[in-house]
Amino acid sequence: MLSSVLIVDDSPVARMIMKKCLPANHGLTVYEAGDGKQGVKQYLKQCPDLTFLDLTMPVMDGFQALTEIKKNNPKAIVIVVTADVQEKVLQRVAALGALHTVKKPPSKATILDALQQATAALEIQESS
Amino acid sequence: MIFSQIFETINTGLVVLDKEMTVRHWNRWMALHSEISSDEITGKNLFEFFPELDRPHFLRNCRSVLTFGHFCFFSQKLHQYLFPMLPAGSLAEEFQFMQQSCTMGPLRNDHGEIENLYLSVQDVSEVVSYQKKLVHMNQIDHLTGVYNRNFMETQLQKEIERCQRFKHDLSLLMIDIDLFKNINDTYGHQCGDFVLKKITQRITDKIRKTDFLIRYGGDEFCCILTETPTNSAFKVAEQLRQVICSEPFVFKETSFETTISLGVASLNENDVDVESLLRKADTALYKAKQNGRNTVANTTR
Amino acid sequence: MSDIVPELFTDEEKDILQEVMNIAFGQASADLAEVIDIFVILSVPEIHVLKGHQLPGYLCEELQSSGTVNIIEQGFLGKFSGQALLIFPTGAEKELLTLFNQDQELTTLDIDIDILEQETLVEVGNILIGACIGKIAELLSDVVTYDPPRLIAKDYCLEDCQQSPVPAESFAISIRTVFRFDQQNVEGYLFLITNQHSIDWLKKALSTFLESFE
Repeated sequence: MLSSVLIVDDSPVARMIMKKCLPANHGLTVYEAGDGKQGVKQYLKQCPDLTFLDLTMPVMDGFQALTEIKKNNPKAIVIVVTADVQEKVLQRVAALGALHTVKKPPSKATILDALQQATAALEIQESS
Repeated sequence: MIFSQIFETINTGLVVLDKEMTVRHWNRWMALHSEISSDEITGKNLFEFFPELDRPHFLRNCRSVLTFGHFCFFSQKLHQYLFPMLPAGSLAEEFQFMQQSCTMGPLRNDHGEIENLYLSVQDVSEVVSYQKKLVHMNQIDHLTGVYNRNFMETQLQKEIERCQRFKHDLSLLMIDIDLFKNINDTYGHQCGDFVLKKITQRITDKIRKTDFLIRYGGDEFCCILTETPTNSAFKVAEQLRQVICSEPFVFKETSFETTISLGVASLNENDVDVESLLRKADTALYKAKQNGRNTVANTTR
Repeated sequence: MSDIVPELFTDEEKDILQEVMNIAFGQASADLAEVIDIFVILSVPEIHVLKGHQLPGYLCEELQSSGTVNIIEQGFLGKFSGQALLIFPTGAEKELLTLFNQDQELTTLDIDIDILEQETLVEVGNILIGACIGKIAELLSDVVTYDPPRLIAKDYCLEDCQQSPVPAESFAISIRTVFRFDQQNVEGYLFLITNQHSIDWLKKALSTFLESFE
């Protein structure tokens, strides 16, 4: 079961929107970070079940943050949230180990789908 | 009802295409000028009739309109036309094809989604013709019909930039009619004008289409020789000198001889701007005059 | 976002505007890549809001090192209306022509290279402006139409710029972004010049945008 998520995005509005798109009564513990570097730090501190990661951020961008997180925990479940869904971007984040990509702006439906994918991935990890 | 009447009677070509480039509507203006009727083309792919439109540039613009819902403008300056059609009436002599200014825009369905796109085609041949005349008037010397000094200054600048970009050669001839004042004084100004015209004719016949002959001042001319190194420029200058002195001029049954002096200058790393190249050609011309007229010289030989 | 016109937007509105621009430019990158068949990255836009009369000084400061610029202007009309100014440093037109003419289709035409570069600048400008404004409008549920783009200044030296190209009382939303095509960086600045009426609409649209996630 998913119990915690980390939302990494430099825009406070983007983080607010993400939280609004989470299902009602989700019962998740939500952590937040405002750039890639803070994101990695929070990930190491909180070890969330799922991380939503923006790509374009100051200090450290999403690509770098994803690399760092995966270096620390190859099993980390990270879902990239980006408006720029061109093929080369999708290929690059997939190669870096992202589970899935959600197109910005997110919606309740796309976030629900993302949570289900993360849950499935988590169950596979736990059963093995 | 009203809109369909406007669609058919407006003095503009209107075409509606779907995402697969199938013609959905083709108004009477288009039928009239393309000689393809609406019945013939509606429901068919546009490229079956206009294969020349099936190219990356046009397709890119279509995708962009369908994706972003903005408008694309096919300027006459860049494209001249999209649909090859005959120009109307007297302009047929001036243009092979009707000059067009075209616009492409999105058409949305009731849900606001872009489903089709339209093309409007405007005949701008007349405007282009006027523009050409204006440009011509601003660039041409009225007496001789060769380019004027105004044109030279911009053209020489462009040629120099082009040479630097592509590492090409460029030479310039400064030409002066020897003792032109004597012709005017002896035979009158009418005769002087006649000589100016005849000399430009003889020179024009000898140079290439890619070269530019300019009337620089009263009896002074200038010739831009594109992609020509010094050696070849000397040969051209010598030919021009000969074509003027070899045959006498005949004005109102009076025959007399005239000669020209020429200064040759070529572009090299040291002189990179219009001024320095002109100065070099001027110095060369002065030397040619000093050498006894009816000669060719540059600054070194 | 800076506080050049502090009274215009609340902090929350500024944050929403920034995020709307982020999303618009991100989506525009993705769609542009498909439309023009070139890998495009639009950097995260830096947003500033200023008054029309502040624009020349601001431009001058921002583009200091770039020397002369070319300015493409295009009017857009919707609930959100105004002019878009797209500014490229002189020289960008050569790179854009190379990029957009990889099939050599245009250079086979018998046209002066200057006109070709100029027209390419206008065409590329039209696509970039259309992509950015189209996406912003779409996110805020607006539909806009456009005037033909024009090159309003060629090799223009900003330091000579005494007079603002826009009315002093208008508002300029400056969106600074870098257009990166394939390996080449072409830095461009996009300014949306708008009026009080459109700003009022924009404020409402921003709050509606946020509410739509409830």
